[in-house]
Amino acid sequence: MLVRSVLSRSLRGSRAFATAPQLPSSPQNGRLPNTQSHIVSKLQFFNSVTGGDQQIPTYRVLDGAGRPLDTAEMPDIDEAFARRLYENMQLLPALDNVLYNVQRQGKISFYMTAYGEEATIIGSAAGLANDDEVLVRHSTIAINAKYLGQYREMGVLLWRGFSLDSVMGQCFGNKEDTSGKGRQMPVHFGSSQHHFHTISSPLATQIPQAAGVGFALRRTPERSGKNVAVCYFGEGAASEGDFHAGLLMASTIPSPTLYIARNNGFAISTPSSEQYYGDGIAARGPGYGIDTVRVDGNDVLAVLSAVKDARRRCLEQGRAVLVEAMSYRSSSIRVGHHSTSDDSFAYRARSEVEDWKRIDNPMVRFRLFMESKGWWDSTAEEELKDRQRKEVMKAFKRGESLSRCELKDMFTDVYSGEEPWNLKEQREELSALLRKYGNSWEPWKKELAKFTNQGKELMKD
Amino acid sequence: MFTTTIRSRHRLSRLFDLKAARKVRWNSSAAEPPPAGGHAPSVANSELLKSNRDSALRTPEILWTGDGPSSTLVSGRETRKMNTYQAVRDAMSIAMTKDETAVVFGEDVAFGGVFRCTMGLAEEFGRERVFNTPLTEQGIVGFGIGLAAMGHTAIAEIQFADYILPAFDQLVNEAAKIRYRSGGQYNVGGLTVRTPTMSVGHGGLYHSQSPEGFFMSVAGLKIVIPRSPIQAKGLLLGSIRDPNPVLFMEPKILYRSAVEQVPIDDYSLPLGRAETLISGNDITVLTWGTPVYHCETAIHMLNAPPPSIEKHIPTSLRSANVELIDLRTILPWDIETVTESVNRTGRLVIVHEAGMTLGVGAEISAQIQKRCFLKLEAPVRRVTGWDTPIGLQYEKFNIPDSLRILDAIVETLTY
Repeated sequence: MLVRSVLSRSLRGSRAFATAPQLPSSPQNGRLPNTQSHIVSKLQFFNSVTGGDQQIPTYRVLDGAGRPLDTAEMPDIDEAFARRLYENMQLLPALDNVLYNVQRQGKISFYMTAYGEEATIIGSAAGLANDDEVLVRHSTIAINAKYLGQYREMGVLLWRGFSLDSVMGQCFGNKEDTSGKGRQMPVHFGSSQHHFHTISSPLATQIPQAAGVGFALRRTPERSGKNVAVCYFGEGAASEGDFHAGLLMASTIPSPTLYIARNNGFAISTPSSEQYYGDGIAARGPGYGIDTVRVDGNDVLAVLSAVKDARRRCLEQGRAVLVEAMSYRSSSIRVGHHSTSDDSFAYRARSEVEDWKRIDNPMVRFRLFMESKGWWDSTAEEELKDRQRKEVMKAFKRGESLSRCELKDMFTDVYSGEEPWNLKEQREELSALLRKYGNSWEPWKKELAKFTNQGKELMKD
Repeated sequence: MFTTTIRSRHRLSRLFDLKAARKVRWNSSAAEPPPAGGHAPSVANSELLKSNRDSALRTPEILWTGDGPSSTLVSGRETRKMNTYQAVRDAMSIAMTKDETAVVFGEDVAFGGVFRCTMGLAEEFGRERVFNTPLTEQGIVGFGIGLAAMGHTAIAEIQFADYILPAFDQLVNEAAKIRYRSGGQYNVGGLTVRTPTMSVGHGGLYHSQSPEGFFMSVAGLKIVIPRSPIQAKGLLLGSIRDPNPVLFMEPKILYRSAVEQVPIDDYSLPLGRAETLISGNDITVLTWGTPVYHCETAIHMLNAPPPSIEKHIPTSLRSANVELIDLRTILPWDIETVTESVNRTGRLVIVHEAGMTLGVGAEISAQIQKRCFLKLEAPVRRVTGWDTPIGLQYEKFNIPDSLRILDAIVETLTY
């Protein structure tokens, strides 16, 4: 495919050089070396991708009250699958509620709740194969809201069976932190077993990396044509140079890479009107020559259908595809809108159908749909809330009680193979200091007690 | 496509005489004359380059990795005369033959590369494995990271080291830290980023830089700089197969000027090890890349100064035994070899093309003064580029040439 496209391009190019110049008498003879564009004699500037003043439309399946749109094709889901979607969506605020409260008690250094993207994350996770390679970076960056975006995308991991103990292990940085041995800030999850590449803080860096992952999948015989690379990012991250680089790479060097942009209208405090002047992120896709769709990110079934079809296109074309999910979170940071919120939402949702802002909650919308099918009721809701709260609390208490990894792990995994002399020497220097002060200098003593083995593996001669 | 790219990319067409380069027969074993216009004429007569089969096969620390005879035997092995770009190409060809996951990519690599290092590889291995990328350095390195994270071997090329900075974030924040931050679950050990480096005689600000110092503080990365064709092949194969991401910087003036007999078999040379090229007991000269040859010339000049500068070289110094060390790996560097040498000689001169302030020499001299404090008989001396950008018409007076090195040796010996 690569060869063919390169060949056809160079053929086009050489033909252009070899042919004598022709007068542009009709639109058909516009032969320029780098484009198949027609020649026109009327000066006309253009702007919108869709022509005229039309913005790119948003694909939706359920209306705000959970009713299927007349012409919409419903995805083929049964009760069990619908329940699984809903339960996974609800698990995100259940985690929010617990972690937000314990943060207020000072048990973890920071936490922040965020509502509104459950459908985007769980709907897309459900539209993927469980062994598609996922790359994530948080969508927003600021001192006190660092974890907003990443946390939502942890839903992909939860969908794939990442345990609550592993979630807590990472947040507490305890010895069960399989994501990173307590080295990264909370909510920087990762699990090779679940095909979820470890999250890091620098924005957008995963976007070109995903193209490389997609290309590797295409070159791996047992995964070629079966798996795609999936890359999540927010509309703020799409302003980084790596966004341009990544989409360019994955389209030009054909790589089955599915880009999912979560456009929630805000990057921390910066509204999207200060982030871009064009028609969102979706408008950029066609510029890179890739299939693009905009979807209602509060409609879990629309996201599911869109991602499924985007994935199919990725595999068929072996090239990048872009999905922009609009989740129009009404405010970027909603601290304090906590545990009781969704209990009350359920009731208000039915009584205040006219209030679109309130009803346009992804969970309420899907719950109303399930209720209309007879798949859900308030008893099930109470049971679920109760169960999830208990499960989260149990994992939380367990995570809180575990010690950290061994202190020596501060120095491991920097390199593979022979350890460089500088690391060896510096570890020995710390060991000597610990032997000298570790049992008497209170701040160190207190800290050492938190580690498995209390740093003794370093302190021994 | 290639035509378009070349036309739109001024930065490569000016630098290298492509017309002249095309006259070279790529598979020829015939050596071509070194570029007379360069500032490293000493390369042509260097005794450090191995001109016969036997010495090439007995390259110190050579590790035969092929299927053939046992790893120590040299009988039955052959060599071929290669310049540095041919040796680099040979290494990549071997890596791709042995490893189906290995791919080579970068700007303009498909037609052979602007320095010919990938000549014929696309024809040999197909465009699926040797391909051009769009002109985006952050994209190239990011793409390579993704490939390597999947366990594949990614050999990326940044056209000039001067243009590696757009990829600084991907190299420093990503490639170097992925193993550590993921607790060892993910790594990009399969990533090697090749890039031409150092001055070329007329490269100006952006075709001359030596940015190895920027990367020296990046835990998790390795940095390797070869001095010759044998070294380029062995160290590149070592880098490609090293389980860590490696920045492999090729001194571009040596691409055509350094020629030696290179073993045709698969072999590698160890990373993290310096090599003592000339043994001596009076002073240690430490360098890497192109300046290796300026140092060699400086040592010859010390022993037999040309008449024009004879009066500046005290006769008492002319029989001084200078020890010359090629550092080869910048990170992690071989502190053991350097410390041992300086403890013996008591004097150290460090030579590099990059500017002095916070250059690699700064780190080395700090460590050496800590470790060799009682043995040092003179201050550690650094001969480097000045702390200026590399102005086109001023290059002769910017780079640490043989005369500046000679002067530093004399001053250090007479301190």
